[in-house]
Amino acid sequence: MRSTSYRVGFAAAAVAVYVFLLAPIAIVVVAAFNSGEYLRFPPEGFSLRWFSKFLASEPFVRSFWFSLKLASLVTLLSTVAGGMAAFFVVRHARRSRDFLRLLLVAPLQLPAILTGIALLIFFYSVGIGTRGMTGLLIGHTVVSLPYVFLMVSSVLLRFDRTLEEAARSLGASPWVTFRRVTLPLVQGGVVSGALFAFITSFDQFPISLLLVSVGNTTLPIQLFDYLRFSFDPTAAAASTVSIALSVAVVWLIHRLVGLEQVTWGGPR
Amino acid sequence: MARAAELTGPETRRLNRLSPPPALLLVPAGLFLVVFFLVPYLNMVRMSFLTKAPGAAFTHVLTVENYLRVLQDAFYWRVIARTFWLAGLTTLLTLILGYPLAYTIARAGGRRRPLLLMLLLAPLLVGAVVRSYGWMIWLGRVGLINQALRALGWGEAELMYNTLGVLIGLVHVYLPFMALAIASSLEQIPADVELAARSLGASPWRAFWRVTWPLSLPGVFSGAMLVFVLALSAYVIPILLGGNNVLVMPMLIVQMLLDAFHWPLGSAMAMVLFGLASLVLWLYVKAMNRALRWIPR
Repeated sequence: MRSTSYRVGFAAAAVAVYVFLLAPIAIVVVAAFNSGEYLRFPPEGFSLRWFSKFLASEPFVRSFWFSLKLASLVTLLSTVAGGMAAFFVVRHARRSRDFLRLLLVAPLQLPAILTGIALLIFFYSVGIGTRGMTGLLIGHTVVSLPYVFLMVSSVLLRFDRTLEEAARSLGASPWVTFRRVTLPLVQGGVVSGALFAFITSFDQFPISLLLVSVGNTTLPIQLFDYLRFSFDPTAAAASTVSIALSVAVVWLIHRLVGLEQVTWGGPR
Repeated sequence: MARAAELTGPETRRLNRLSPPPALLLVPAGLFLVVFFLVPYLNMVRMSFLTKAPGAAFTHVLTVENYLRVLQDAFYWRVIARTFWLAGLTTLLTLILGYPLAYTIARAGGRRRPLLLMLLLAPLLVGAVVRSYGWMIWLGRVGLINQALRALGWGEAELMYNTLGVLIGLVHVYLPFMALAIASSLEQIPADVELAARSLGASPWRAFWRVTWPLSLPGVFSGAMLVFVLALSAYVIPILLGGNNVLVMPMLIVQMLLDAFHWPLGSAMAMVLFGLASLVLWLYVKAMNRALRWIPR
């Protein structure tokens, strides 16, 4: 149809852009399963040797577990604090509402590297330093908490409060109402927020760069240090693990609340 | 909120009085962000006015010396100019590539849409280090593109460790942000508006340029602002895809803090970069508001 000619043009351009977006990610996965030292066409054959090299590499494995532990703690902290804050801002705040919203999403508006610098200087100024996991835990939570806040808020804004009212009038205690009515209804938002917090921490680079210390290295930092001197596909295997986690998170959010929530209603 | 209060029966109100004040809900997040976000930023501003001491990171002597050192050095101005130029070019390219993508997503039917969104969000959630590595495999000296060029007998191209490589990486990382911003704006335009223009005799292109494009400008403007700020602060990509050949401000700032251990100067450099960025954004918002006034609402 003539009337949609530019739409066809747009769709063709969109396909090309998708290829551009996915090309570097797909090639990392291909390189990880390829048996050769570097990728050439045609690929030399399927192999898991880079994954076994990854598993045998002490720095990679250690940083992987460290990142996993760190991201889990960050998820716990930011989900509890961010979720509670969302309840307050949506349901109870009145005049302070706009200010609070601004404060709670501010860490997303400012460049993470600047936040990392500010925290590094702050930790040394007050004498905490950056040894151990504490600094990283705090830094990651600062940038993960806003995602939980945004996603739980967006669910709460559409929440029908008469349901809680019904439970209460039928004799349920506030706690039972919260556990049996409120929580199941906001669950999707909370879990999506938690997943976003997890991946934000697991993939975090700029803040980690400034706050890591010897013996406490995260996977992205370890990968970065490795790539500055070597290209071998052990890095591809490590990257593939991280890609798999990201894809799993996107898929879970899609199943739990739908991706539209994240994109139009939520952050940004 | 008022409606919710009306729905609250007397029994609930009595129980509410017995439960702890709701403000306690805000305490953990509020306290956390004030102590570990607001205070550190203020502390950094203060740091930029302190003096470096031999053997220590700083002493409490106030000075504007750090700012003068940055502002009077032509080297820093060249790096600042490059940083802004790269961020501006990235913004423009993500707009050109992101618009058709956003349009296709916003107009996609029920079933296809989640898939298109998933393909956009998955790269967004993959870390910048991994994505840079992916580009190294394509663009490197022994990378796939150069292998293909050699096989065709066309020699070799320098695709990485230069401005081109950095630009490709930056556009790749920030494109999803732009596409999402534009798509959320396109979402709100009813498809009928364009059809109305068509039925009144406008050609498809004319209907697009006179109706859809102006109505999508809020998304374009907010996407551009976001991408510009993010691209200004990019660090990983210029290092991994630029080698040490493309020097940008965040690299110098991190070097000053971590290697030279000069916190006052590093803080002042950060303040100068983001002060200039705020100035650019302020001018941009003013121009944007003027432009948006012409859009019928």
